[in-house]
Amino acid sequence: MKLEIQNVSKRYNKNKYGLKDFSITIEKGILGLLGPNGAGKSTLLKMIATVSKPTDGIILLNKNNIVKDANYMRKQLGFLPQDFGVYPNLNAFEFLEYMAAMKGVGGKNLKPRITQLLEGLNLIEAANKPIGSYSGGMKQRIGIAQALLNNPKIIIFDEPTVGLDPEERVRFRNLISDLASDCIVILSSHIVSDIDTIADEVAIMKNGSLITKGDPENIVKKVEGKVFETTIEKEKLSTFKSGHIVISTKRKQGKLQVRYISKNPIEDSILQEANLEDAYLYLTKTN
Amino acid sequence: MNTFTIIKSDYLQRTRSYTFLVTLCISLAVAYTFIPEPNATYSTIRISNYVGVYNSAWIAYVTAIMASIFLSLVGFYLVNGSIKTDIQTKAGQIVASTPISNFRYLFSKVLSNFLVLLTIVLIIFSMSILLFFLYNEGFTFELLQFIKPYFFITIPAMFFIATLAVIFEVFFGKYSVIQNVGFFFLFFTLMVLPATTETQFLLDVFGSEIITHQMENQVKEILQSNESIGLNIGYVIGNEKEIKRFNFEGVNFPTSFLLSRIGWILLCIISIVIISPFFHRFNVKEKMSSKKSTQNVSISKTNNEVVLSALPKAQINYGIFSLLKTELLLLFRKGKKWLWIINLIGMGLLVVLPLEIADQIVLPVLWFLQVNRLSELTTKEVTNNVHYFAFTSYKPLSRLLVSQVLAGIILMLFLVFPLLIRLLFIANFTAVFSVVSGGVFITLLASTLGIVTKGKKLFEVLFFMIAYANINGAKLLDYFGGLTHNANYILKLTGFILLLIIITFLKRKIDLKKN
Repeated sequence: MKLEIQNVSKRYNKNKYGLKDFSITIEKGILGLLGPNGAGKSTLLKMIATVSKPTDGIILLNKNNIVKDANYMRKQLGFLPQDFGVYPNLNAFEFLEYMAAMKGVGGKNLKPRITQLLEGLNLIEAANKPIGSYSGGMKQRIGIAQALLNNPKIIIFDEPTVGLDPEERVRFRNLISDLASDCIVILSSHIVSDIDTIADEVAIMKNGSLITKGDPENIVKKVEGKVFETTIEKEKLSTFKSGHIVISTKRKQGKLQVRYISKNPIEDSILQEANLEDAYLYLTKTN
Repeated sequence: MNTFTIIKSDYLQRTRSYTFLVTLCISLAVAYTFIPEPNATYSTIRISNYVGVYNSAWIAYVTAIMASIFLSLVGFYLVNGSIKTDIQTKAGQIVASTPISNFRYLFSKVLSNFLVLLTIVLIIFSMSILLFFLYNEGFTFELLQFIKPYFFITIPAMFFIATLAVIFEVFFGKYSVIQNVGFFFLFFTLMVLPATTETQFLLDVFGSEIITHQMENQVKEILQSNESIGLNIGYVIGNEKEIKRFNFEGVNFPTSFLLSRIGWILLCIISIVIISPFFHRFNVKEKMSSKKSTQNVSISKTNNEVVLSALPKAQINYGIFSLLKTELLLLFRKGKKWLWIINLIGMGLLVVLPLEIADQIVLPVLWFLQVNRLSELTTKEVTNNVHYFAFTSYKPLSRLLVSQVLAGIILMLFLVFPLLIRLLFIANFTAVFSVVSGGVFITLLASTLGIVTKGKKLFEVLFFMIAYANINGAKLLDYFGGLTHNANYILKLTGFILLLIIITFLKRKIDLKKN
């Protein structure tokens, strides 16, 4: 399994790009996609999922150009869009059967597969109720179930943990780890911790371009020795921000405890162990 | 936020859409047909065999009446749904949390509805002036003659429709089918109410009767007859050679009539004051939660996990039967269950009523009752935000779109099944073919307009007009062969069906490629 994105651009008008000359190669395992709003994550994922087409460049799946032959991708794709809806008058079984039919999946195994998916996603009790009556988290799990209907070989999850409670998020992470054994899983999220623990590789995007890609440990190394913590007066925060990249602030006894990234730390700063969130903020703010 | 800002924002939001642009283009084209060109084979307003010479008064009054009637007919469908949009976009929840009163909010909706309709009136008005110069018959251009009928006839009628749309939404917000069908019957009733005396003219909200009455009187004078003479409003085909001309110089509206227009507007405003306390103020979910079917589902937590490797392997099945089954399910479940009782009554009437009435009246009404089902046939993916799945499905054109169209046709034919059986019994195969073609045609019209306009309004409006014309026996729009036609007509309809198929599939193909 190999997905190659070669010099892909998505141009909306003369000067506006959703993605610009973007290249990346993805192989079996989990790729975590990080980036601020407007970085082009969803644009990239939609193009991989054949929802939209690139203005320039090609996307190859196992050497097949899916821009020209979208059905090659569609046959082996599981896609959970960021913002999707359901037909509220259908129940979970009916909706998933419909989704399966759209994907060209059926046969005698379909019903047991749907049942097991619904059981695994804790939806079986509500499976005969109209989806219109489901909570946001339940609808999100229906979305996850539909992505797994057709033995997918490439799975795209765009912001999958939105609406899931902490317990469900843990279960979802376990599910993704299981999926990654023989599939390509691309996972985009704003929540760095969701990606930190499960991704084999992380790609960070900004303004439609790829800033960096690599395994999380190597990315974290880029900020090692640069993350510090110190305590400052509240009034000095804005001046402090102009000289350093502030990761977080915490009120403490009338003062502010600040975690920040800098090559030149101020006096009384304590060196901290760097994590992926530090690296992400450092890379998106300095590129 | 002041009322003006609300109206302006609402107006801009509604007019900055592709659908509205299409609507304006269609309005322009329709307005062009309001005054037939000299060699045209139809007339729009004809009194006996007389039409007016093309002076300022005739062109202005005819276009104003046509705008008043036809825009009232379709305008309701164009503007209703503005509160629903606020619910869908969740902007309503923000509105509800502001200090704006129910009356101010609803009245601002009335005014923005009115402005939308006024924009279309302005297009028709401009076209009427253009037509005066285009068909120049040597008469003087009189601007006042142009303004007068629009000001006293069309504008109050538009205000009435703008208000009615809001009233219907307040009371039947969740039941769009009641809004659509309810207005259909209300309009029909208002149109058939007789108006021959001055008092009755005051009650004519569309304001056309006073003008047509004067036109009739003028022709009676020419004919020196006191007997009732035929008046036709609408698209009357044929008999162009018999047409004679008379000089129409406009109407001197009596003061009581002018006051009645103000009265109608005041009545509209008072209605909004009266209905304001009944407005849900976007507290919709709580109201809905009292119903069993929409109660939020709660489930107990378990520790199950999905083990992909343990799942039964999915098998390939590229047939469309499953898609068709669900499309039918979606069509049947759309709307309230009790509407199926009305459908069943309609199907029963197709069995018991005389064949002519069943074919000419019951069939078009029964099919029109499905307007909400059909209009969503190819737009529901986008409105339900399921398009990411639908458009990335395997062969969305040859599988999904085909199953959607087939489901629509099956529904239409299922509803008129009793009529088809009756026609088969009497071996009227032409009629059977016509009804089947009609079902195919209307389904494809819904599919095409849904895909082309990316919305359902245009189809709803057109279907309403067509159904209204069908009930009035207009031959031109008899798409299901309720009236007698020659083979040429059926051939044309078949050609039109083929054209719709091509447009539907080509446009969806382009849309899929364009993304």
